[in-house]
Amino acid sequence: MREFLKSTRFKVLLAFLAFLVGIMIYAVTKGGYSVSGASFINTLTKPFRAVSNKISMNIETGLDKFSNADEYYEENQRLKQQIGELNKQLTEFDALKSEVEELRKFVIIKEEHEDFVLSQPCEVLGYIANDPFRSFTIDKGSADGIKPNCPVATAEGLVGITVEVSEHVSTVRTILSPDLSVGAVCSSSSADSGVIEGAILSAENGNTRLSHVSTDNQLKVGDLMITTGRSGVFPENYAIGTIKSISYDSNGLSVCAEIEPCTDIRRLTSVIVITDFSGKKEDIDED
Amino acid sequence: MRIKTTREQRILYIKTMVRWMLYYVLIFFSFICMTSGTWTKPVLLVPIALCIAVNNNMYASAFTAAICGFLIDMSCDKLFGYNAVLLTFFCIVVSLLYELYLRNKFVNFMLITAAVSYIQCRLDYKFYYEIWEYENVERIFTKVTLKVWIYTLIASVFIYLIIKLINHFLMPKNHLTIEEAITTRTQQNS
Repeated sequence: MREFLKSTRFKVLLAFLAFLVGIMIYAVTKGGYSVSGASFINTLTKPFRAVSNKISMNIETGLDKFSNADEYYEENQRLKQQIGELNKQLTEFDALKSEVEELRKFVIIKEEHEDFVLSQPCEVLGYIANDPFRSFTIDKGSADGIKPNCPVATAEGLVGITVEVSEHVSTVRTILSPDLSVGAVCSSSSADSGVIEGAILSAENGNTRLSHVSTDNQLKVGDLMITTGRSGVFPENYAIGTIKSISYDSNGLSVCAEIEPCTDIRRLTSVIVITDFSGKKEDIDED
Repeated sequence: MRIKTTREQRILYIKTMVRWMLYYVLIFFSFICMTSGTWTKPVLLVPIALCIAVNNNMYASAFTAAICGFLIDMSCDKLFGYNAVLLTFFCIVVSLLYELYLRNKFVNFMLITAAVSYIQCRLDYKFYYEIWEYENVERIFTKVTLKVWIYTLIASVFIYLIIKLINHFLMPKNHLTIEEAITTRTQQNS
């Protein structure tokens, strides 16, 4: 062992390790952009990853049908019951009216987004291995006008934000992650606002969490939460998710709620990136 | 060991080339597998790097470990270079252990893989989740980290067999077989 420690081989290997540490430190200073080596590998492996991911998703879907057949049967029965209940409700005019109004609000939100500059539709290359918060990579990057911290969405609602951008591939952090905070407000009452921030328990079910809501709120289960747009990171009035359950925070001073995202983040196949919108904070990168 | 002829040396060179090509094909496909689908997956590149380190010289092992580490960083979205440093260090240590103390046995490989992949998973959990004190963070350890570790251990059995198969056909032999010794002796006598 002593001979090894004194040998040239040891010194060479030590220098190699120091070189790797240097690369790691360099990567930290890149501020959201990939190191050129990683960017090259990403570009090189992109078609293989896309094909492999498609195969894998098909296999998973096929196996899922077999392994969860009982669950689907129960879900089917439950949904049939729900349909019956909903059919009854449809006969009631008030319920119908409120439902239509809610939908109209959602349509208005869609119509009001003329200021958005959108990327081309991005295909989901694959989910980050073993990430409990379902981060994923998309097949568009800086060459397509995408920058770090651009909102990512589907037609149904907000999905997350770009965190690492290379030339042709970008990594997206989802709203299931505790590292992403989104200012949110209830679409029906603008007084009820809070912060949507992922939590480990919620992420297990594909949900996120609304916290820091005052105790005298008017929130109810089923309310749609939309973005406030105050931070300048996310556009205003974009749908995030609906309230699934409401409870008190662990400190008892504020209210929190389980939010079911408008789009199922665990099974995405394509998304869009909002590269620009009115009210966007221009110095996000510097922040 | 007897002196090799030019033809034998050429064959040896080609075999070494093919062997390393196969190692890198295996690494590439493992990387693709790690970036596909939504299920919890084993970190296949850890046992691959270790298995290569066990059977090859230290410089090549260190370089391959660095490559595997960079690919893990990319597939798991970790700081670029973090796993490269970690894996290179472990592979140098493992290579040295095999050179000085250990025999190339399946049990030894499994024990080392278990230890290294556990440390890799634990550090990953520590730096990326526990240190940030998320609520219910221990659930990630039990539901993701341990699962990944167990999957990696199971996968390492197959990786060991694949690399053993590659080495069986393409690794240069350090010692003469009985048949080779007899042939050499016969040639010397004639």
